[in-house]
Amino acid sequence: MRLRLARLSALVLLLASRDLAAEDRVTVRGNYYREASTRVLAPVVYVEKDLPDERFTIGAEYLLDAVTSASIGAGAAAVTGGDFLFTEFRHEGTLRASGRLRNWSFSGFFRYSTESDWISRSFGATVARDVFGRAGTVSLTYSANLDSVLQIYGGRAIPWTGGQMSIGDTPGQPEPNGTNLLQLHYLALGYTHALTRRLLGGVGVESIFARGPQDNPYRKVRDGLDESHPRERNRISASGFLRWAVPRTPLALESRYRFYADDWDIIAHNPEVRMYARVLKRLIIRLRYRFYHQTGAYFWRADGNYSSDSVYRTADPKMTRFLSHMPGAELTLELDGLAKHRGLHWLRGAWIQATYNHLFQTNRFGNARLGSLAFSIPF
Amino acid sequence: MFAGPARPVALVLAAAALAACATACATVRPSEREVLSRPEMNPQTEVMEAQFQSHFESAREGGFGGNGAAGGGCGCG
Repeated sequence: MRLRLARLSALVLLLASRDLAAEDRVTVRGNYYREASTRVLAPVVYVEKDLPDERFTIGAEYLLDAVTSASIGAGAAAVTGGDFLFTEFRHEGTLRASGRLRNWSFSGFFRYSTESDWISRSFGATVARDVFGRAGTVSLTYSANLDSVLQIYGGRAIPWTGGQMSIGDTPGQPEPNGTNLLQLHYLALGYTHALTRRLLGGVGVESIFARGPQDNPYRKVRDGLDESHPRERNRISASGFLRWAVPRTPLALESRYRFYADDWDIIAHNPEVRMYARVLKRLIIRLRYRFYHQTGAYFWRADGNYSSDSVYRTADPKMTRFLSHMPGAELTLELDGLAKHRGLHWLRGAWIQATYNHLFQTNRFGNARLGSLAFSIPF
Repeated sequence: MFAGPARPVALVLAAAALAACATACATVRPSEREVLSRPEMNPQTEVMEAQFQSHFESAREGGFGGNGAAGGGCGCG
């Protein structure tokens, strides 16, 4: 099982950024993630259609997450009886609708995701308004996740209400007042503006209020104690970007920065630079470099030693102090050129895209490779 | 007024407000947005990749956000 506390933001991203003037289109994308002990294959197909025109658009998406791990998680050998390959599948379906009325746009989504030990339902809405002669757009988004967290124990899926606070508690038994419902409330305010003929900029503030079990049922700290995280977490991030088309060149440059803080005392800084180059008429290359640094949660201990009466314990690499570097490259080939040939007119507006990123990081997850291959075509 | 973790947030917001004030009056007209309408200048073209990026970040990092989730559009329509 993977904790996906910010999965919500990814969906909202797609929701909020959907191009309301888009044509009917189907996109297939295969995502790949590989690190020392985990491999993820995540194919996704997305279809959108205007009904009857761009003023109202509906979309549907299906994603399959196939996660293969050397073990379920740190300490999982005690549960599984040893270290072996373990594959689990997650199925996710999403429905979206968006509309436009003069300078206003509206969108909403519902998503259902299920796997052996996690069921997630989420919904949300975005309202946006163009301002300054459509040179700027301000948006407000709210969405929520209602997740049921389970633990595979003795061959059955039982509710997971959070790590046991005391070693004297019975493993697998819910706390008297506990619930396995994890609620995530996401709120975002953003503004994007065409600053000049060649410069685009944007800022945003996002927050997540999480209530419910947020520790991993399978992960143990030293001495076999359950991982135990606080049941409440309040998170906020502020970000901004500038993208500039360099005069008299086929280049565009972008700089980004994100600051993140939460009440678990994790503070993160995340600058990034990107360069886009249209090297041929139909070929765009993107190069990027991303840096990430975070502090550790207040209950994280570098030596991993917790006493049995410790209220909070963690073996989660995400809770540790670490940094990462990620260079990457992406190629996008527009297929309009092929559409000129006899019998290939259906490729007009289609594109293919290949992406590769290499992650160097100092936490226990180790270095990783991320790749994807996508094909998109209008219909 | 702002201290600790709130300070960088305040600085980002202040810089953004300053930039907005400095440029908001000089609205870029639709006829002047030819360059901004290029695919490589449109953040919306990266939405699906950013979705996977957000997914990976949420599973491997303590932070979240900043992938454009709060952006309402490109302003170049």
